[in-house]
Amino acid sequence: MSATKRPSGSARPLASAAAGLTGNVVGDMLQRLFHSTSATGRALRLAGLTAGVTGSYVGYMAQRMFLGVEGRDTKRRATHAKTGHRIRDELQLLRGPVMKVGQALSLHTDLVPEEMLAELTKLQMEAPGMHPSLALAQFRASVGRSPEQVFKRFDAEPFAAASLGQVHRAVMRDGTCAAVKIQYPGIRAAIESDFRWIRNVTLPAQASGHLPKAALDEMESQIVAETDYVREADHIEFFRTSLKPLDFVVVPDVYRDCSTDRVLTMSVVAGQHLDAFLAKHPSQRLRDIVGSRLLELFYFQVLILKVLHADPHWGNYLFNDDGTIGLVDFGCVKQLGSEFIGRLRKSFLYPGRTDSPDFRRIVQEQFGSPGKKLSSVSQRAVADFAERFYRKVYPPDLKDADRAFDFSDPGFLRDFLRAAGKLARAKGSTTEYIFLVRAEIGLYTTLHRLKARVHTSAIVRRLLAESRKEDGSS
Amino acid sequence: MSRNSSQAAGRRARNKETTRSRIVAAALALFQVKGFDATTTKAIARKARVAEGTVFNYFPTKEDIALHFLEQEVEHAMATVRANKRLRKAPIEEKLFALVQTQLEFLAPHERFIGAAFVHALTPGSKLGIFSPSAQELQFRYLAFVQELVDDAVRRGQLSAASWWTPHVFWIYYLGILLYWLHDPSPGKQQTLAFLDRSLKIGVAVLRQR
Repeated sequence: MSATKRPSGSARPLASAAAGLTGNVVGDMLQRLFHSTSATGRALRLAGLTAGVTGSYVGYMAQRMFLGVEGRDTKRRATHAKTGHRIRDELQLLRGPVMKVGQALSLHTDLVPEEMLAELTKLQMEAPGMHPSLALAQFRASVGRSPEQVFKRFDAEPFAAASLGQVHRAVMRDGTCAAVKIQYPGIRAAIESDFRWIRNVTLPAQASGHLPKAALDEMESQIVAETDYVREADHIEFFRTSLKPLDFVVVPDVYRDCSTDRVLTMSVVAGQHLDAFLAKHPSQRLRDIVGSRLLELFYFQVLILKVLHADPHWGNYLFNDDGTIGLVDFGCVKQLGSEFIGRLRKSFLYPGRTDSPDFRRIVQEQFGSPGKKLSSVSQRAVADFAERFYRKVYPPDLKDADRAFDFSDPGFLRDFLRAAGKLARAKGSTTEYIFLVRAEIGLYTTLHRLKARVHTSAIVRRLLAESRKEDGSS
Repeated sequence: MSRNSSQAAGRRARNKETTRSRIVAAALALFQVKGFDATTTKAIARKARVAEGTVFNYFPTKEDIALHFLEQEVEHAMATVRANKRLRKAPIEEKLFALVQTQLEFLAPHERFIGAAFVHALTPGSKLGIFSPSAQELQFRYLAFVQELVDDAVRRGQLSAASWWTPHVFWIYYLGILLYWLHDPSPGKQQTLAFLDRSLKIGVAVLRQR
């Protein structure tokens, strides 16, 4: 890589990481400042290759196109589709954290034009993976034996893509069907290298507080943790046990003997991805059941388990006609602190006024740090969020308990993203909160696509009561 | 020639091949443990349980043993790619990947020796060097195979007709990959796998557009 190109390339992750995380002003300014052509992008990609890393700054540059001037001004549908297609190609080629950013972006249905969304949705399901020779080589390098030696049968062609690898069908020696997830080689080193860059170039944004160091740490540790399949196997086993009370959830079984940190072999979970499920025009009743269950699954994890299976993308859920939900991909799992949950219990379904001193005190506890008063801008942003979004979706009044919220209304998603962005700009976020919002975006987008009608407050109220009982608090 | 004498000739050939294999296996084990330079012919003979003179009969120098091993490596890789039915319809980048990866997997147990052989090859007059007739013969055989793959890809429309020079560039590329592999500290040589995959994809994409 030439020394002259590095500084301008390095600014791009700053711009996009900053904007992607918190939607801040610095990010926007930098995005405008470092405008470049696709030829430069290609050069940078090649440069990244020589270092053996994913060279993801090009992807961030691509991401910028969604958020920057070009994305806003270019209204023509054809351009959108073409751009979306190109960006998808870039992201697929680059992989690593960029792919994650691409997936997160495709969940922002109101930010991204529909045509681009269609292209980006494919990214979630159809990432081109390793050709069979590479997948087999990676399996041998990781497991120490070839798939033919381990399995009765192994399909060299993958049947599904995961953001960090791909999944192959196999048959175990005893005849059981298995799914073998193989990670793209070198991905962990690439991610670590990307983050070293991001950390260096975001120093100003970190110093100004617009991009909290804690948020960067959180993001890196989560993404790096996702590359460790041994950890993922631990997560699967945890959820398999812990989610037993929810009999509509199916969690796979792990085969440890043929799993490593880069290869994960597990039982096959039945079900269809959201698109395929919706294509069969499921009845409103089925969509309501599945939607209610998704919401229950979400808050059961948050309030009872205090652990969240939280990759915000609907490719991780499999839907069945009997209303059962299969869970796949346990790479992104977040532990939520008891204190955080305790505070969440106080503010969720808060019956009083959001401008009352009591609510302000709860907000201070929830988002402020000890001994430091939360700014009035942050206070207002939280109150606004509670008022404009949560009260609408989760009405606190008991007289509304029988009312189902209709997620087909696109307005609620826009309100959510707007309020979350406002709160982020007001620097009112904590890392746990950022994570929760990231997961909520996935949940709400899925519920919206399902057009589900869900008794939100009733479900949450029941789980809140259970959660209080389990913790022995009021 | 009588049946008995032809049987005896076959037996002699088999015995010869067994002895040759024993010498090579002993030498490789010693190269890996003691290093290429520190290994003596005497030690090889002792480990192979043959007389030192027998070693010289088969291989006049240690470099000849190394060349024999490299020849086995190339032959094995070419045979593996040829025998893989699935690869026949695969794109050229996958075929080239499979070729190089098979070579690297063959070399993997002897990494230390390969590093030493690489340095040796740079010494003027070395039999492993690019201007030595025996090394060149092996190189040409290898490149002819790459040419075969490229020609096939041109016929299938995967590469442009102007890609005829590819094998020569590929040889330099292969040496670069070998060096990268030798220096790759990642578990399971992850970085090499990724580098090999992505550089081949980009290389072929360039050749396709010409």
